[in-house]
Amino acid sequence: MADQNRASSPKPFDADFLFEQARGYLAFGEQISKLAEQFRDDAPKETDWGAVLRQNFARFKTAIAESANGPNADPDLARLWTQTLDVWQQTAASLGVVAPKSGNAESWQSYQRVQGQYLGLLRRSAEAALDLMEQQLRERAAVGKTVDSLRELYNLWVDCNEKTYGQMLRDAEYSELGGRLFNALLRCYSRGETAS
Amino acid sequence: MIGLTPERIAEELERYRSRIAEGAQVLTRMGEIEAGVSPRDPVYREDKLTLYRYRPRAAVLRPVPLLIVYALVNRPYMMDLQEDRSMIRGLLDAGLDIYLIDWGYPDAGDRELTLGDYVHRYIGHCVDYLRDRYHRDSIDLLGVCQGGALSLCFASLYPEKIRNLVTMVTPVDFHTPDNLLTHLIRHVDIDLLVDTLGNLPGALLNFAFLSLSPFRLAGQKYVDVVDILDDAEALKNFLRMEKWIFDSPDQAGEAFRQFAKDFFQQNKLVEGNVVIGDRRVNLRDVAMPVLNVYATQDHLVPPAASKALAGCCGSRDYSEFSFRGGHIGIYVSARAQREVPSTIAKWLSAR
Repeated sequence: MADQNRASSPKPFDADFLFEQARGYLAFGEQISKLAEQFRDDAPKETDWGAVLRQNFARFKTAIAESANGPNADPDLARLWTQTLDVWQQTAASLGVVAPKSGNAESWQSYQRVQGQYLGLLRRSAEAALDLMEQQLRERAAVGKTVDSLRELYNLWVDCNEKTYGQMLRDAEYSELGGRLFNALLRCYSRGETAS
Repeated sequence: MIGLTPERIAEELERYRSRIAEGAQVLTRMGEIEAGVSPRDPVYREDKLTLYRYRPRAAVLRPVPLLIVYALVNRPYMMDLQEDRSMIRGLLDAGLDIYLIDWGYPDAGDRELTLGDYVHRYIGHCVDYLRDRYHRDSIDLLGVCQGGALSLCFASLYPEKIRNLVTMVTPVDFHTPDNLLTHLIRHVDIDLLVDTLGNLPGALLNFAFLSLSPFRLAGQKYVDVVDILDDAEALKNFLRMEKWIFDSPDQAGEAFRQFAKDFFQQNKLVEGNVVIGDRRVNLRDVAMPVLNVYATQDHLVPPAASKALAGCCGSRDYSEFSFRGGHIGIYVSARAQREVPSTIAKWLSAR
């Protein structure tokens, strides 16, 4: 059994966490700003307003998908849709579970595989949220409603993500994968693949 | 994009950046955030447990003391967060004589504590202390959330010691279709968890709660708080709630093992198969008057999980109070302050 001498106690407010989320919002704003520029450039050439929206959302989706890995990685943008994984990784780190020096330990590799599957599930949910957001913007536009502030757009984005994430969360696949992720982490811990 | 121009976005982002910069300084000046405001005195201690008596606020007191059994998860000062958001204060103002069990922070030495220790020994000793102090055969018991489940166990095992039982946002049927916590824990290997970690770290519980609504709870909430960084009172309220959310004691390993497996995974409470120590819990033995308070928008303990008590407890004087709000709102919302303490006090005073 792991040595656990400490008793938990109240932690002071983590202002860094607040600022990380604020940076995520700024990254969202910058991404939207790029899209708004594209939209302004493209809209006069296209008669189909919906097509312009679709194209721009496709670019947004690509930026989101690339934000978590690859050469165009943008951690602040990635944080917007990998909230759960970030909190999970911070929790795992607080238990002392870190990558073993060799990186080859069997249980660690297994944990990484499950974590990759978990990230895949989150990505699907984030993409579905963007589809939903696009649909909602289209519906608003159809009745002459506009989004007049970045915060309003961000709130819509949060609502859409909560909706698709909530659906994913209730699915049996999430329950099963979440359990496997947790159990895989525990196996790393029980085999000593932890920080001292 | 739809009414938004790049210039407008840039302006909004610039404004946001400058608020963050100013806010960083405000946050460093905030100092220690206090929570738990009503004066109280320790009257009994055992291991890490402290039994507190809140100083009465009414001229005439109900002669039967009310013992509050809070959950092992999170800290009980949620019920006394600040002066204008205090369930405890409302109960005191209504003339109740309030005692509360503070479980403290379990550490490695508590790893072997079982639910038997919590129910037979800790709750049992507090109840007996109050019976002695007030020269009464029975006292009133108010169980909150998981503390409500423990209170139900106690009341079924020692019905003669409980005059009236109030349960608040208490899970009874853990397998209602909308129970997300059960859904999350269903495939977790609880034995591996406890055998590996000993106690369950509070950080894991925080993760479980945040993961129910991560975009709001770990994202939007912090984006929005930038708007109130220049309002000291609003910011203090926010920080007080943050303090409570992340103030998660570790859970004693063996007690968690049984609670997670028997209650969450196997739903034994509602089926009458929970064994605490060497005694089986039969909710039919909960024969005293029962008031079951639940919240209609509770995302942690769905109303159906609480309302199941109606069908399995043995009380012939069973009532429900449906609070319009959520699991946290039932302690801290303005509506809760108006409705919940007065409802409990009125119900008790009639019994």
